[in-house]
Amino acid sequence: MKRYAYYLSCINESMTKEVDRSIALWQKDLGIELVHLHESTCCGGSNLDYVSPKHFALVNARNIAHAEKMGLDLVVSCNTCLMTIRSAKKKLDASPELRAEVNEILKKEGLEYRGTSEVRHLLWVLIDDVGLEAIKSKVKVPLSKYRIAPFYGCHILRPSTVLGKDNPLDPSSLDQLIEALGGKTIPYRHKNRCCGFHTLLVAEEESLSVAAEALGEAIEEKADFIVTPCPLCHTVLDGYQSKALKQAHIHSSIPVFHLSEMVGLALGYSPKELGIKRHIVS
Amino acid sequence: MTVTSEQHIEGKRDVTFRVFRLNPQVDSKPYFDDYTIPVERGITVLRALNYIKENIDASVSYRVFCQAGICGSCGMRINGISKLACTTQVWDELPKCREAGIIKIEPLRNLPLLKDLIVDMDPLVGKMKHYRNWVESSMPEPEMGKKEFLVSEEEFSRYDKATDCILCASCVSECSILRANKEYVSPAVLLKSYRMNVDTRDSLHDVRLAELVQDHGVWDCTHCYRCQETCVKNIPIMEAIHGIREDAIECRGLKDSAGAKHAEAFMSDIEKKGKLVEATLPFRTNGVAWTVKNLLPMAVKMIMKRRTPPPPPLVKSSKGMKQFREEFREMTEHVKDDHKTHNK
Repeated sequence: MKRYAYYLSCINESMTKEVDRSIALWQKDLGIELVHLHESTCCGGSNLDYVSPKHFALVNARNIAHAEKMGLDLVVSCNTCLMTIRSAKKKLDASPELRAEVNEILKKEGLEYRGTSEVRHLLWVLIDDVGLEAIKSKVKVPLSKYRIAPFYGCHILRPSTVLGKDNPLDPSSLDQLIEALGGKTIPYRHKNRCCGFHTLLVAEEESLSVAAEALGEAIEEKADFIVTPCPLCHTVLDGYQSKALKQAHIHSSIPVFHLSEMVGLALGYSPKELGIKRHIVS
Repeated sequence: MTVTSEQHIEGKRDVTFRVFRLNPQVDSKPYFDDYTIPVERGITVLRALNYIKENIDASVSYRVFCQAGICGSCGMRINGISKLACTTQVWDELPKCREAGIIKIEPLRNLPLLKDLIVDMDPLVGKMKHYRNWVESSMPEPEMGKKEFLVSEEEFSRYDKATDCILCASCVSECSILRANKEYVSPAVLLKSYRMNVDTRDSLHDVRLAELVQDHGVWDCTHCYRCQETCVKNIPIMEAIHGIREDAIECRGLKDSAGAKHAEAFMSDIEKKGKLVEATLPFRTNGVAWTVKNLLPMAVKMIMKRRTPPPPPLVKSSKGMKQFREEFREMTEHVKDDHKTHNK
């Protein structure tokens, strides 16, 4: 059983509880254990870095230092948390002065940021550590009857200088996972585009227009559902779907699944157990 | 429209260029023309287009000048991605073709089309003018020509990368928000505004910043990083956008605009609970009236599905918050000291 420190994302603790619930169901089936990091705090959600770069460094040095104390890699299931914490790590690793400054503060809690734990997305762990062959061998209900639109979301791909796992112009990791679970991916031009989440409260019309394009193509290509590794993308594509499609004059709908739910379905868990009924679009 | 060559010679092969065509004076809708030509390894897409124009179809229109990645004229979408034709190798594009051996060439997005691969750059120039993206000298007129205006190496390092921009508009073409609203300031303009605002020779900082925080300005960027990822000069454009936001918060405060209020909520929630209090985020960003008008119908659906975020008292603080808060406040003191040193 390979163990990881699991970072608790704000959104998975409040609006998209089904993500952590579904991971808890199947993690042991795939030989991994995600140890919840209750001491972690909000990463800053791609906002704190420009409100106060130093607080941003402190908060995320602390998040990573807790994982380092356990001797484990930090695993996240939200794209923006991934990008944000990795950005902080990159800055800390490049600056001995910044590291010294935050460590001076963290010392009082008995913590030290050393840079020894990697910060990884759950999708990457599934592909690189569990392995596609191992996943394939555990599938109980292959997703062979589904045409699936993989929506990666921005912050698992870009900036590639911070992420670097997939080719941001032509990503393939989520496609590979879908195929390992027996599903069929559709050719999906919007797979590496934006969902519009980060401007929902500031430029709603623009955000919904961005989301509607991604939804519209999946509907047009007759996908059975969209799957995303990011709960923020899910919130827009599912929660705001009817509003976005109405604005774009598209009279249809499409279910949107979390990565963790799709894995759960293929491993034989029911939609009810996985929390799929909590979605707005059924 | 084909000029074929002997096939399968290593380093030489026939390649088809599927070129977007539209002459608004003649055509009612756009179409694609295929040109198959012999191409040797080492040839750029621009040279291939030049060959097509000289030998097959003189009517194909595109902009070109320096042919060396300096002037930014030949920005176009090659296999779906905005880039310079003069620095793009045909051989590098071959593995990226959706249909084997066919390279698709299209005009940049988000700017009005003039003809074939030529877009109208006037809207971009207009925005540059609107945000006054030039150095308006802060030197009093009588001193001009008599005194040097020195820029320290440290100061120049802050905008060194931003000066690499050649205005090719690849970032403009790839921008997610501009696609949704052509009024949006656009990444190239933000980059240039940042570059001017950190220049100590300039006197327009406050005026420019006041304009940048308005509607369709710096707060409308959705952090998708597409601009940065496709920048032909590898300029960290998002760092510049975040730089303007950081400056706006420092100079204009945290209550200045919806964008600043939204960002402030993250800072204060982290300090108080270690977690984001999502239930009140829309109120704190846009006020009660906006929230009721825009989010009430959705809130009803979310309540029915039990997906609403918990009210503030029920948001559980992170473990070890007392200690964390002390650390957070200690860093606040560091930041205050930094400002004092900086302002000296």
